Amino acid sequence: MEAEKGKTAKYLKAKRPVPKAVTEHLKYFTRTKKALINALKEGEKTVPQLAEILALPADEVMYHLMSLLKYGFVETGEMDDMDEYFYYKVKDHGKDKS
Amino acid sequence: MPESIKTLEYDVLVIGGGIAGGESALNLADIGYKVLLVERDLTIGGKMILLSKVFPTLDCAACITTPKVSEIARHPNITIFTGAETEKVTKLGEHRFEAVIRQKPRYVNVSDCTGCQLCEEACPVSVSDQYQYGMVGRKAVYIPFSIASPRAAAIDIENCTLCGACERVCPTQCIDFTQTEERFLVKVKSVVVATGFELFDPLKIPRYGFGQYKNVITSMQMERQLAPTRPYNTILRPGDGKMPDNIAYVLCTGSRDKTVGNPICSQVCCMYSIKQAQLLMGALPMADITIYYLHIRAFGKGFNEFYAQAQDMGVEFVKGKVGKITEKENGNLILRYEDIEAGQVKEAEHDMVVLSVGVLPNRGISETFENQKLELDPFNFINQTDILASPAKTSIEGVFVAGTASGPMDIPDSILSGGAASAETTSYLRRAVS
Repeated sequence: MEAEKGKTAKYLKAKRPVPKAVTEHLKYFTRTKKALINALKEGEKTVPQLAEILALPADEVMYHLMSLLKYGFVETGEMDDMDEYFYYKVKDHGKDKS
Repeated sequence: MPESIKTLEYDVLVIGGGIAGGESALNLADIGYKVLLVERDLTIGGKMILLSKVFPTLDCAACITTPKVSEIARHPNITIFTGAETEKVTKLGEHRFEAVIRQKPRYVNVSDCTGCQLCEEACPVSVSDQYQYGMVGRKAVYIPFSIASPRAAAIDIENCTLCGACERVCPTQCIDFTQTEERFLVKVKSVVVATGFELFDPLKIPRYGFGQYKNVITSMQMERQLAPTRPYNTILRPGDGKMPDNIAYVLCTGSRDKTVGNPICSQVCCMYSIKQAQLLMGALPMADITIYYLHIRAFGKGFNEFYAQAQDMGVEFVKGKVGKITEKENGNLILRYEDIEAGQVKEAEHDMVVLSVGVLPNRGISETFENQKLELDPFNFINQTDILASPAKTSIEGVFVAGTASGPMDIPDSILSGGAASAETTSYLRRAVS
């Protein structure tokens, strides 16, 4: 099979199926991303607040939130009154397409 | 499909593109030798390029490494293979070596990639970023980090869903999923081994709770947090995003410890911990920093003054061996330790713990040498057979060692060692001419 330039992913997909764990992982990330962005759309929040709303361990929220910060969906806000936790908020309305 | 193997010829094969291998390659290339630099990672620069600052001068590590890396990358006498492994090396005779190099597919044509990162934006996958030591995610198509060399995307095929989104947005059509592994037969006259070191994995000391307690991190993770290209918006606890204000360092984690199979001193942990403590005092002015140590080894030029400076800045030094770490409900950590000077077992609470992990040999390179044995020392670093007179010499004539492949050392010593290896290689090659 000759692969057309710019469409070579199909070529490899035919030769090498994507493992189920990889697609499951993508689904999980997409779900978590949506949940985090939706929670932040309602107002800026800290990591422990997000962990409570999403019922996820705080370290997992931290990891995904920092990934979203890196990818440009989220930005850093002010610190809380105790100078302990930062608030985070959606950037560009969470790029809306999410 | 029959496997084709291309034959290439160079004067010197340098295995490892960290600061020591890079220095060797650069010196040899400047003299006029043709060098092939083979790097397993997607970028050259080794571990140094990932550091925040260096001790004892507090110079920015990236600012020192980047010009050097670009000089290596642009040198007309140096060819670089990244994402490539040395499969085997055979000595056919003096000045006659043959190596087989395996080039793994990157699925990106590096020469066409402009580093625009549109593919990264389009990629829906997020997996753990190994260059940020797992503290944040990265995409399945990614540029390793902003100062990587080559600064080109690569596809993590293990985690790619082959959705094709990256291909569709790539303006130069440099993504190519049809790439396959390539093998090269390389004929060289001499070999420099600069395979560097591995960091100790603290999961091997379960009583320190690394992995289980999220606010126990390694010194390399703290190094990333202190770097300008940090994973978080500032220095934060990975467990819950709290800004720490009472940080402990546990020195000799995986060094000078027979129980984990590494009885020797790693030579750099005291100083990098003192450096990080000073940087933390700058970044978090309200924070208390405590360093639990066995002995502070500040033996280099300006090191002891650097140690004294940290004491003057208010870093607390406790001569004590940490036995166990436990976690409180709020994520704080209780360190149970032997206060050596008081002769008592004590407990102290901190809100973040940094394990100053040691330097281990990067195993495997000696097995790639086929017909002659590349000897290791008792600690599995490459044996320097004539350490005083000819420090780069190994058990194979014509194979030289550079940097931490021969044992723990700091950055200036690694660069010196890379220089020594290039000088000894030159001397060996000149003997060929006469």
